[in-house]
Formats: sequence, C-alpha cells, structure tokens
Amino acid sequence: MLIKKIIGFFTSLRLTVVLLAFAIVLVFIGTLAQVDEGLYNAQARYFRQWLIFGLDLFGHKIPIILPGGYLIGTLMLVNLIFAHVYRFQLSVKKIGIQLAHSGVILLLVGQLVTDMFAHESQIRFVEGETKSYAESSLDFELAFTTDAGANAEQVITIPQKRLAAGGEIGDPHLPFTIRVKSYWKNSEPGFRAPMAQNAPPATTNGVAKDFDFSPAAEIKKMDDKNEPTALIEIVGPNGSLGNWIVSGWTADTGMIESVQQTYQRMAGADLARQIVHKLTQPQFISVNGKKFTFALRPERNYLPFSLTLLKATHTVYDGTDIPKDFRSRVQLKNPQTGENRETEIYMNAPLRYAGLTFYQYQMTAGQMAEQAGATPESVLQVVHNPGWLTPYLGCAMVAAGLVWQFLFHLAGFITKRKTK
Amino acid sequence: MLAALLAVAGCKRDDVKVYQVAKEDSTPAPSPQLQFALPPGWQQAAPGQMRAASFTVTGASGQTADVGVIPLPAGENELDILNMWRDQVQLPPATNVDSQPISVGNDSAKLFDVAGITPLAGEKFPKRILVAELTKGATSWFFKMTGAAPFIAEQKETFLQFLKSVSFVEASAPPMMAAATPSSAQAINPAVYSIWTIPENWQTVAPSSEMLFAEFALTNASGAKAGVNVAALAGTGGGLEGNVTRWRGQLGLPPIAEIISSSFDVTGGKAQLVDYSGTNAKTGQPARLIGVIVPQAGQTWFYKLMGDDQVVAAQREAFIKFIQSAKYPDAH
Repeated sequence: MLIKKIIGFFTSLRLTVVLLAFAIVLVFIGTLAQVDEGLYNAQARYFRQWLIFGLDLFGHKIPIILPGGYLIGTLMLVNLIFAHVYRFQLSVKKIGIQLAHSGVILLLVGQLVTDMFAHESQIRFVEGETKSYAESSLDFELAFTTDAGANAEQVITIPQKRLAAGGEIGDPHLPFTIRVKSYWKNSEPGFRAPMAQNAPPATTNGVAKDFDFSPAAEIKKMDDKNEPTALIEIVGPNGSLGNWIVSGWTADTGMIESVQQTYQRMAGADLARQIVHKLTQPQFISVNGKKFTFALRPERNYLPFSLTLLKATHTVYDGTDIPKDFRSRVQLKNPQTGENRETEIYMNAPLRYAGLTFYQYQMTAGQMAEQAGATPESVLQVVHNPGWLTPYLGCAMVAAGLVWQFLFHLAGFITKRKTK
Repeated sequence: MLAALLAVAGCKRDDVKVYQVAKEDSTPAPSPQLQFALPPGWQQAAPGQMRAASFTVTGASGQTADVGVIPLPAGENELDILNMWRDQVQLPPATNVDSQPISVGNDSAKLFDVAGITPLAGEKFPKRILVAELTKGATSWFFKMTGAAPFIAEQKETFLQFLKSVSFVEASAPPMMAAATPSSAQAINPAVYSIWTIPENWQTVAPSSEMLFAEFALTNASGAKAGVNVAALAGTGGGLEGNVTRWRGQLGLPPIAEIISSSFDVTGGKAQLVDYSGTNAKTGQPARLIGVIVPQAGQTWFYKLMGDDQVVAAQREAFIKFIQSAKYPDAH
C-alpha cells in the first residue's frame, strides 16, 4: 500500500508541475540575486543547494525555505525515471515520447555530471614560455615546494578552503604544522614605503617586511577576482618557525601585472619594477636541512604534457580597434607518447587534447601591446568536462522524439481524412 | 548511479595533495645576445623598437645606409615578408621566394636581395634592401641593410663580412629579471642623474638603498662630510608630518606638533623646506639636516642634505639650486 503510494507520488504529473513551478521561481530569484551577489555566489547559494534558508533580495531578508537547484533537479530526474518505467509501452505510437523523455533525462544527468566534475582553469603564458599546468581563476592553494632529486620537486598543496576554516593543518609529508592565525578571502596590498609612517608590520618575515595586507570587501563581479591573504604560523618539531604572510598577490601573475602597472603610473617604471620584485620574492623555511618554498598561489592542475606559446597574434579590423582575430600558435609536447606538434588555437577552434579543451580566452599582443612595450601574452581557458557531449545528445534526442511524434500524428491524421 | 556520482564528487577538493613535478622553469627562454665585429665606417645606433641592434653606415662622400637586426618568432610567411620589402622599394609583389644561401657566423642562412628600379620621390637613386634571414630555435633573425642602390652595391661585401662575424651568446637571465635584481638598481644610472644640474664638488655615489633615486657625497677642505639623497614616491609618500617625524628621528629629535617650514619655487610648484640640528642617531655625531619635499605630478620627491653642520651650511644654497634645476620625468 505504502509502496503504491510512493510510486503514485513519484509518477504523478502533479509533482512534475509543482517542480516546474518551483524551478521557475528559483530561476527568477537566482537571476535577481546575481545583481547583489554576483554570478558565482548566486549559483552556489540557490542552484548548487538542496534547500535554501531565507532569501536576500535588494537588501531585504525574506524568511522562507525553498527547495534548491539540486533538490528540484534530483526530484525531476526521479519523477521522469519513475514515469518512464511505470508508463513505458513499447509501441510505435509512444516511441517519440519515450525518446524525448530519455533526452530530458540525459540533459538532467549531463548537467549533474558537469556540475560535479567539470573544472575550468587557465594557462597564461608569454611568447616563448612553456607551461605544463593550468591555474584556477578562482581558487587558491598554499603550496610547499621542496627538492626531490635531480630535476624534480615535491609539491604539497593545501586548498584555500582549509585555510579559510582556520585551526591547525598538518600532513605526513610536511615536517611542520601550519596554524592559521587570520584569513581574508579578499585583500589589498600596500607597499610599506620607507618614507611613509607605517604601522608595525604584521610579521618581520618575508613579504610582510615590505608590504601590508589589509582585508578588502569580497568581490562578486565576474570580471574581477578575490585575492586571499592569510597570516600563518609555521610550527616545526623544535618550536615555532615564525609568523608569515601568504597572499595571492605574490603569486598570481595577472594581478602582479596590474600591481606593477599601478605603481608605474604613480612612481615610474623603475620603482614599480623594484616594488614588484619585493612583492614576488619567494618565501622559504628550512626544517631538518630541507628547504621548503611556499606561496599562496592560484590552484594548479598539472598536465602530463606541456604547451609552449610560439606566437600570439591579435589582429584588428583595419582602421579600428575592433578585434578581428585572436590566435595562439602553440607547440604541444607529450613525453609519454613522444608527441611533438604545433597547432593553432583561435576563436571557435579550440584544441581538444587528453580530455581537455583549450579555448582562446584573452590576449595581449598586436600593435597596441607592441607600443606599450609588452611581451605578447596569451591566456587559454582550459575546460575539463566529461559531460560535454550530453547536451548535444540530449537535445538531439528530444528533437528527434518530438519530430517522430509529430510525424506519427500527422500521418495518422492524413490517413484518417483519406478514409473519410 | 546518482548516489555514486554524489559520493565521488563529495570528497572533491578539500584534501592536502602531494605531487612530484619536474623542476619549474616557466621563465621565458632568454634571447641570446648578439656578438659581432663592427666594420670600419659603421656606427652602432640605439636599437629602437623591434630591433636587437642598429647601425649607421656612412660612406666617403656622406652617403648613408641603415643596418638593423630584427628578431621575430620563426614561422612567419617568407613571401609576405619579402613582399613587404619589395613594397618598400616600390616593386610589385613577387609570387615566389628567391634567395641565395650565405652564412651568418657558422650557421647557414638565406640572403634576399631586393633592388628597386626607379628612385623614390625626392631621391636620386633607387632603393635597395639586403636581408639575411637566420632561423635559430623559435626565432628568425633578420639582418637588414637599406640604402641607395649604388651605395649598397659598394657595401655589400662589408655587409657579408659583418654577417660572418656574428655569433650568439646565450644570455644568463632574461632582461626583465636582470633589471629587477636589486644590484642593478644600486648601480649609477646616468639617465637618472641627467635630470639635475649637479654642483661641481658633489660626488655621485651608488644609492645605498633600493628606494633611493640618487645619492651624492660632499666633503669640504677640512675633510668634514655630508650627504645628499633623493627619493621619489607615489602620492604624498607619507606626507609632510610623517617625513618630518622620520627626519627628526634620524637626528634623535622627538616629533613636533607644529611644523614650521619655509618654501621656495621649483618647476611647476613650490617646495617645502625644513631645517633641523641634532645628533646623528647612527653615528652619534652632531649633525644638521635640511629636508625638502617637492610634490610633482602624482608623486613626491624627497631631498635630504644631512651631515656636518659646516658642510651643510656651506652647501645649502647649492642644494636649493640643485633642486630647482630638476627636470622631472613624466610620471607615467
């Protein structure tokens, strides 16, 4: 009896309608919320959530509990599968509907796969530079690097989330523990000019000697980013190895460039170079004769192959600044397969390799860059999405199903008229 | 399936990870530096944009030719480049690339000879361009000689000899890195000092700190010493009060609530001057300090004359004149 009720609930069309209504409300709220919270935060708060407790819209708090994107999606999937299983009839008449439903199921599952497993990162390199890793544009990691024999290093990374959680962090690979004393999701660096009246530094070790970091409001816009900073204490087997500042500002190439440009405007190129040099000095500690260099850097995703930027081309339409073409000529080297080839990446022509897709994303090249004295630079967006085919397949199935259903009815209608 | 997906994704990204990776070498490969024997009659000129080296060749009767060395990423379309040169001497575009084999240093290279037929407007002779193209690694080096056809014909042999003398030395560090090391900041940069008229008896010394723009040593007949240093900082650089407090600290004097300063005219505004006597906190000797603050286009220049009272008193006027002589570079 109970099972029948459950089956009845999950196969009901009423459930579908209710879920669709909730989905409409959620999309509406999520879209409005982006104004204040930005795309990523709105996605995380409303769509990647099972339940939503309370809304914040236009500065007003609304106490309400709503199903989140995960819950609605999952229930829709269950609803569809139940309906599919219990009402399934293998007949020519229904085959279109079956196909369309299967397509929708595939879309839902594909979206779930994308949401859980897709990963986006970037490769930023100047002409002549070789990179064998991609960097996250949002997440950071505290990386400790130490020698591991000839031409190899061991890298131990602690994700930003662990720093944000605070407390003490340890790992068997590290002969010390890390105590997080403070952590800011976004921060601002300030050069401690010798002429200025500075407050005492946060610590006298490393970068903190020359820079003050202060907390900054969290950035929610898509075209800007948060640069975290943490004050940590490193505690070795024989006691404290001092307090250190680790900051995204010291290792995030794109942001370092913007720091240099800012100081260049204020104090000239020479001084700006010196200031940035101080900012990017590697910090290290030695424990038991082993040197560990550490930095809070954009999260890296190491690749089993390397890409070298041979040439970045940025052309504009004659007589305008409107971009016509961004194009990166890269050399791909894979020591495992012995592959060594050149290829071009440009708009709508990404490189698909080893389950990754490399899209042309940003570029500093061409005449304008040349005039500014900048080395041509290219940024590739690296997307890993095991579910990338599902939307194409799902949509094709829905379309084929609907076309079949329509044609079937049309044929029936025509034959009916003829018999009349 | 759903549960499995959630389980796999659940343990996503909060764990400490350990990798073994190849030693990082993400700095761009330094471009090799050119070495060559300079032929007689050739003068090295400022390389300018795009060029690794530039030369001016002057003939006996004053004719000139220009020689440039241009590194470009390899793989450019040769025909496009050739036609660009043909366009420069007013020849129609070619449909195939015509070149002769030659050697640049010990490497084999290609020589393109692009000779115009008619003189360009206002010129007596047609123009001719000789270009040697050498591809080394990811870079194509173009050695290009441009000038009036008869003079180029005369200089061709010298040009080929010059090419034979060329060699490449691997640079130890990319130029950006070299410029960023503190040691280079402490060398005396003549361009920096050219913005002032420097009094005769002042001796230029390498700045003792990275933050200083320039430094001078002053000594009088009896051997008493003083020093002048100059720094430029963004914005107000800490303001009058902060800097006066700092300067007073160097003389062992406490901060003061009300700062009395005099002012004088400088290019584009007024400078503020403070004058204090005390004891040099570093040496323990009596000392006098004259500090001058000059706000200038988004930045502030700090001048300090400090040392033996007699030297400072004698150099005060020269110090002010020196500050007034400054032609500040644009703060861009």
